[in-house]
Amino acid sequence: MKLTHRNNTIKDGDGAAVGYRQYKMERDRVAFLIFVAPALIAFILIMLWPMINMFYLSTMDWRGLVKPKVYVGLANFIRMTRDRHFLRALTNTGIHTLISLPGVILPAYMLGFFLSQRPRGYRFLRLVFFSPAMISVTAIAMMFVGVYLPEGILNTVLRGVGLGDLARPWLGNTSTVLYAIIAIDFFGGLGYYAVLFSAALTGVSNDLYEAAYLDGAGRWTVMWRVGFPLILDFIGVCLMLHLIWILVGAAQNVLLLTQGGPGDYSMTLGYYLYSQAFKSYQLGYSQAIGVVIFILGAVGLLLIRKVTQRDYQM
Amino acid sequence: MTMSYKKRLVQRLRDGKTIFNIGGYIASIIYVLIIVVPLYYVIISAFKDNAQIFSAPLTPPSKLSLVNFINAEKTGRLGRALGISLFVTVCGEVLSLVLAFPAAYAIARIRTNLAALVERFFSLGFLIPAFAMLVPLVLLMAQLKLLYKPLSLVLLYPVWRLPLAIVVLAAYLRTVPRELEESAELDGASRMQILLLILFPLARAGVITVLIINFITFWNEYLFALILMSQENRTMQVALSILKGERSVDYGMLAAGVLFSIVPVYIAFLIFQERVVEGIYSGAVKG
Repeated sequence: MKLTHRNNTIKDGDGAAVGYRQYKMERDRVAFLIFVAPALIAFILIMLWPMINMFYLSTMDWRGLVKPKVYVGLANFIRMTRDRHFLRALTNTGIHTLISLPGVILPAYMLGFFLSQRPRGYRFLRLVFFSPAMISVTAIAMMFVGVYLPEGILNTVLRGVGLGDLARPWLGNTSTVLYAIIAIDFFGGLGYYAVLFSAALTGVSNDLYEAAYLDGAGRWTVMWRVGFPLILDFIGVCLMLHLIWILVGAAQNVLLLTQGGPGDYSMTLGYYLYSQAFKSYQLGYSQAIGVVIFILGAVGLLLIRKVTQRDYQM
Repeated sequence: MTMSYKKRLVQRLRDGKTIFNIGGYIASIIYVLIIVVPLYYVIISAFKDNAQIFSAPLTPPSKLSLVNFINAEKTGRLGRALGISLFVTVCGEVLSLVLAFPAAYAIARIRTNLAALVERFFSLGFLIPAFAMLVPLVLLMAQLKLLYKPLSLVLLYPVWRLPLAIVVLAAYLRTVPRELEESAELDGASRMQILLLILFPLARAGVITVLIINFITFWNEYLFALILMSQENRTMQVALSILKGERSVDYGMLAAGVLFSIVPVYIAFLIFQERVVEGIYSGAVKG
């Protein structure tokens, strides 16, 4: 509207050109919408609409697809505060985040920095490090069935090196089960992120390192004071990806290996959502848990962004 | 020669390079063992019976028995599952490009104030944890009459990963010089022709990147495949999880299934190694 008005005032000057430009703009806008429409419509229908629905269902008491939905407001969320299993799941997911986020990303950065220095044999190391990323999460979980069995590989190795006292049924023991699940992240995630970090560091100009070495800095200092800040943005992206994995993806390992047990000792938020929906048929309650996961994720991602994004770059 | 070597060594020790490398190698070797030992265990177990697996876990098999593979195929119907997975992955890849490429073209190339807005929308959508909205997604697929059919995954996977595909493709399309399009436009080519005949081949690297990232996601996805598929239409990953019985574990059979599912993907990885790493990296950077 505004545009038309302004163009009218200068019309007598070069009306044809302005008219053409305006026509072209209009035409571009239409073309843009036509090309974007399929993707936009599909995304709104299949991702955005279910997301809105998740918030809607979280306010419902709904116990099975054929049962009626009853609006209960925030009752599902109030119920959580008294739900022992939910509180256990929240605590476990908190422990998982605190261990896995720094525990995977920081060593991965160190190995990535080491790889980026192209030490002898780095091609071989990179190949091995990246291999678990080519194995599906399901296959990795199935491998770890054999690792954690009472007669499995972990106990065999422990007995072999004289630490037989430590041998135990890792997934059947209430005090080890959560950590056994978390430890799987190290098998798969560490090497994957290490290779990505080394790719990011390869883009760092060598002059920056040289300058630091000339100033007398050692490798360790250069790794943390030069390399780390330079790819902090990218480290932030990886932290975000890993956080999403912890919040939702890791539910898969719990489902495949322990189903939250023994008792509820390996219950996590993601798996609790799944089991409430498909085992207890508490559909409304499960989506209230979905809302909690969504909010925790959004807050976590914003925090990571805040910490890792600096203004002075680029 | 010896002099310069000595000098280099002194220099290296001074800047701590040697100590640093020793630490790096020790850490690397520990991590390599963490990866290789379970893999080795799976590979040898696939060819042994359960008595051998538990009595001598680390000993290689005395003879190559394929019994476990035959049992795994029978129990999990792995052949059929492989077919379903291939169908879902290939159709998903095609749909992904059909949806993402025109959108990426519009965002990268058509000058309008809407472009930045739409790109922002998609880059935020990248972070939606789809698993959290499990129930509404199942309901949606039921409404679309796609529940328990492979088509539900064919639709869900590409749309779920659409933000990444669009952002990556748009980033590649921006590197293609505009002059080519402009001269084609002067020759009277339509936008569709420019898109298909000029930009698509030129943005090949971006297309391959998207195909690789998608392949890994689509092929390996488990939770949605478990919930949205019937027992008849299990994907490879779901079939694999069936091999772990409810009570007792036939680990030899399980290991055979794991090996069966890993080997084709891993061979592809060995062939396209550089491309895969490069593709995933640029996907993460641009996403």
